[in-house]
Amino acid sequence: MFKRIWIIFIRDLKVNSKDFISLYILLIPILFAVCINLFAPGINDTTINLALIEGENQDQVEYLQRFAKVELFKNTEEIEKRVEKRDAIIGIIPKIDGYYLMSQGDESQGIVDYAKLLVSFYELDIDTEDSKGELMEFGRSVPPLKKSLVNTSILFISVLGGMLIALNIVEEKVDNTISAINLTPTSRTSFVLGKSVIGVLYAVFGSIALLFITGFGRVNILQLLLILLVTSLLSILVGFIQGLTNTDIISAAASIKLLFLPLIAGVLSIEILGDKWQKFFYWNPFYWAYKGNDIILAKSGTWGQILVYSGLVLLLSGIVFIFLAPKIRKGLE
Amino acid sequence: MITVKNLFHSYNKDGNYQVKDVSFDIEKGEVFGFLGPSGAGKSTVQNILTGLLQLQQGEATLGGYDVKNMSKDMFNKIGMSFEQSNVYSKLTAKENLHFYGKLFDNPTRDPMELLKLVGLADKADIRAGEFSKGMKHRLTFARSMINNPEIWFLDEPTTGLDPSIAADIKDIIKQKNKEGITIFLTTHNMFIADELCDRVAFIVDGEIKLIDSPENLKLQYGDKLVKVEYFQGDQVLQKTLSIVLPEDKELLRNIIENHEIRTMHTKEATLEEIFIKVTGRGLI
Ligand SMILES: Nc1ncnc2c1ncn2[C@@H]1O[C@H](COP(=O)(O)OP(=O)(O)OP(=O)(O)O)[C@@H](O)[C@H]1O
Ligand SMILES: [Mg+2]
Repeated sequence: MFKRIWIIFIRDLKVNSKDFISLYILLIPILFAVCINLFAPGINDTTINLALIEGENQDQVEYLQRFAKVELFKNTEEIEKRVEKRDAIIGIIPKIDGYYLMSQGDESQGIVDYAKLLVSFYELDIDTEDSKGELMEFGRSVPPLKKSLVNTSILFISVLGGMLIALNIVEEKVDNTISAINLTPTSRTSFVLGKSVIGVLYAVFGSIALLFITGFGRVNILQLLLILLVTSLLSILVGFIQGLTNTDIISAAASIKLLFLPLIAGVLSIEILGDKWQKFFYWNPFYWAYKGNDIILAKSGTWGQILVYSGLVLLLSGIVFIFLAPKIRKGLE
Repeated sequence: MITVKNLFHSYNKDGNYQVKDVSFDIEKGEVFGFLGPSGAGKSTVQNILTGLLQLQQGEATLGGYDVKNMSKDMFNKIGMSFEQSNVYSKLTAKENLHFYGKLFDNPTRDPMELLKLVGLADKADIRAGEFSKGMKHRLTFARSMINNPEIWFLDEPTTGLDPSIAADIKDIIKQKNKEGITIFLTTHNMFIADELCDRVAFIVDGEIKLIDSPENLKLQYGDKLVKVEYFQGDQVLQKTLSIVLPEDKELLRNIIENHEIRTMHTKEATLEEIFIKVTGRGLI
């Protein structure tokens, strides 16, 4: 059984990696991640600006450049002028026994502390490898916009996994090859599982790539996997149904796009609507998946919460499955 | 090897049967032909036997296995060449065979060897989507042999192929039969049926009208005919005459007495002529 699931998966992978549309889908997580990094201020992308004297201590400049935007000036007076001009820049100026910080006075305490720490770390010769904690995120919380973009993208990716499955099913339908498979010892279950693998792996690896590129690499991946798997179930179901009921790729993709409606509805209800409206979205599996992902991304999710949320997604997808399973069985005959 | 008893099939389950009370037995090592016009129900019967269509009414066994709940293992022993070629357009010929072969549990044949057999060796690395209809058909045919089947279903194996390739395919079928493989062949080409089959069933409108060997049928139903060429002046004339009908016999006597004969052959009735005589309709 596992042998055949694997063979069917490998065939799909081979075909998808040669085909333009599916290759494009395969690359979307990377594309999403890059866009999020460009448009939303990130946690990697420190917004702290430092002003230093050029050529005074090249080693220090290089060190600080790794953690802050560094601007170089000829002398102390120039730095002074620069610091006065805009608020979020801190001057680092040499004195006899070290350095002093120059700020305009209205910078947030976090930024000033951050600058202080950077300077101390340099003096103490501490590097990120020495840290047990989260040096990069010191004093700052994850920007909410970025978090919700990443969360929404993860849900999108799972739906795209379903689309990938649909593409491969449509291929089998157009080439009429399911009847040939049915004349091998491949059971229907192996076939369905084999066809699903690519959608699940895509959702898993696509989401993990997205997390790492957008700087969420240190969240609890196991918790995320659980939510991802249950959300993928729904996408797989819809992917199969659309693959089997449509005879061309475009109409299958168009029908799957309809899944984006409940997805967006779930996201917006949580982000925009007040508490009293929330209960109207409890039917929506994406609603719960989004909630689950949210606490994972904020690193505040306990296993108890995650289990409840993924249980709800599983339950709701299960209801969808009960309605769709007979159709899928019929379509595979 | 194959037994079928009182098989009925109605696609719309509305009492309107496309297969009506079909029964036959196929011996091990036999080539059995289903001969009938388009829409007669030939493919329907084949698809029921391979499990592609649900068996609705009647009984059927395949190599001892009940078709109603066929064991997965049975599929290791059967092969089927589909009427409409169905291969992955996005895979090359070789990849198609390679993938399909891996789905079986028993030893499979080398894809390249099979491609060579059907004349596609030089096209092994071309995507099947770029193939002509006949090439796809040959690939589908080659694929049906990959698991060394004991029972081989062939649905219109030579239809649409050019004569030289059709001849190759016929040779492959004969060779396989020599190796002891049981073959169930569907066709509306009487030459194929005549040449390849140990026995043929005439099927029309879902019903089997008769089952016998081509030789017996010809003995039983075929009038002996004489084809005669003779000179009239400088012209060569040609006539086909029955040696049973009185007026033809009279005419033949006349020709022999009054003309110089150029050639004279007895000629058997073709399977098609017999088919028309038995079923009252043609094969197309
Ligand atoms: N999927 C289907 N649904 C409804 N009716 C069908 C279906 N497939 C075939 N039929 C009908 O069943 C009858 C037998 O069809 P079948 O394909 O078995 O004929 P055949 O003898 O193989 O013909 P051909 O020589 O053209 O291949 C035809 O009348 C056809 O219209
Ligand atoms: Mg047919």
